[in-house]
Amino acid sequence: MKEFNINGTVMQCYPLTAAQRLHFYTLKYAPHQVTNIGTGLYIKNDVDFGVLKQSIMEAVAGFDTMRLRFVEDEDGTVYQYVVPFDEREPGFFDFSNWREEDAHREMEQWTQKPFERFNSAMNRVVMIKYPNGYNGIYLKVDHMTMDSSSLIEFNKLVLELYCAKMYNYPQPKPLQPYIKALLHDLEYEKRGNAARKADEAFWKEQIEDKNEPMYTDFTGPGRLLTQRRESGNPKLRSAMVISRDPTASISVYHLEKEPSERLMQFCMENRVPMASLLLMGLRTVLSKFNNDEKDVSVKTCVARRGTLLEKHSGGTRIHFFPLRTILEPEQTFLEGIQVIQTEQNKIFRHANYDPIELTMKRSKYRKFTPGASYESISLTYQPLTIKSRDSELPDIDYKTFWYSNGVAGQPLYLTVMHRPEDNGLNFNFEYRKDCVTEQEMEFFYYYLCRVLFRGIEDKERTIGEILEMI
Amino acid sequence: MLEELKELICNYVEVEPEKITLESKFVDDLGFNSFDFITLLGEVEEKYNVHVNEEEVLGLTTVGNAIDYIEKLRGTK
Repeated sequence: MKEFNINGTVMQCYPLTAAQRLHFYTLKYAPHQVTNIGTGLYIKNDVDFGVLKQSIMEAVAGFDTMRLRFVEDEDGTVYQYVVPFDEREPGFFDFSNWREEDAHREMEQWTQKPFERFNSAMNRVVMIKYPNGYNGIYLKVDHMTMDSSSLIEFNKLVLELYCAKMYNYPQPKPLQPYIKALLHDLEYEKRGNAARKADEAFWKEQIEDKNEPMYTDFTGPGRLLTQRRESGNPKLRSAMVISRDPTASISVYHLEKEPSERLMQFCMENRVPMASLLLMGLRTVLSKFNNDEKDVSVKTCVARRGTLLEKHSGGTRIHFFPLRTILEPEQTFLEGIQVIQTEQNKIFRHANYDPIELTMKRSKYRKFTPGASYESISLTYQPLTIKSRDSELPDIDYKTFWYSNGVAGQPLYLTVMHRPEDNGLNFNFEYRKDCVTEQEMEFFYYYLCRVLFRGIEDKERTIGEILEMI
Repeated sequence: MLEELKELICNYVEVEPEKITLESKFVDDLGFNSFDFITLLGEVEEKYNVHVNEEEVLGLTTVGNAIDYIEKLRGTK
């Protein structure tokens, strides 16, 4: 902890966490990277914008990481602090006479504009009159201050405050203090911390597995074969995945309510998490696209929000870790999911470990340059919606959007999330344009669905049979 | 042990301690997800000085199952 004099006020400032340092690390290697996330939440209802404005300002006052700022010391080390008040008023924009796609494009442009990095607010809230009778809010935040769980939590808080004022719904419960959760994380990061030592030992063992993992690309073996040729190493098993051109786009595919329910039903009946099922689908498609490769690695997102303090204190907590599975064609679809579930559980137990440290250690051990990897895809499964199980919100027609920030460090980042309006699943593919076309992305999604539904219609079907069928 | 476990559980999900019974299911009744559950078991490991096996915990669905498992681990330590 360090004290800084900021505009005449002495502020207690704290070091960054591993999850935050990851973004600074990304910026170091990809300076064109924009670390914003933009969301839209619109309801099919008339909205009293005066009450909405008041609700937004109250929500900012109660949500610490909406008031989080960064400061840099003379050595260039970055610290963070929470300002006690932020009296900025939300903006207002009327898109009601716009075409929906034009409104969407405009908000994507807003999302692509980076924030001032130091001693400045890291978010922007705009009240929106959306086309076709919808109204709501656009929210843009810097990912170093909040992740998707935090964004959903903030949007939920605004809606709950609004409904309490307008319709006498119960007042939302107060959130947890961010600094308390932060101190907990910083304690873990101290050298000599027992939990950290145990995690370090676990990841060391994973890195030093005697068999090197195999890179599998979502477009097939072309990237690896090219790099083998260029490097003169026909046995190369990792591939360079970063690019000088990080231009990205998002394709969103909506899986209808009924098939989404079938996936959820399968998970309930077989007591497996949805993330494990999705990972099984992904790794099977990667296997199919790479000559039925048995050794497949995917990066999996861990939200690291177990305790109530972690769940309700905002911030950015996401860590990504490699999840490697070697599955034989004779194993059944369900067995494959169970293997993944066990591997995920191991990762969960060691998920506080710094993912950058892991990446650096792996690169050093395998002697590949930073930017090379065994994983072409990162998966996030986001189970939260603004209408989660403890929500008192009314049944209104909702529309939610995630706006592209226009750039991506990784080739493909898949986020699967539930739609609040019908609980169906949206598959958001954020892909780097130099890696894949929109048509190829659609092709990949098509195969992913084929694997998932072939698997759940007969869980005893073997992986070999599924690969043959699709 | 039920009372001690209730205290831990209430750090993870919003539930009244008196509503937690041996029959309560972690996922269906208490709203746990797999990350919550594994993190809770991490706390259990620390508190009772036992080692939890990832594959064995897949079968633990109720609070009663979890207590039996922890007691078994403590007995065979």
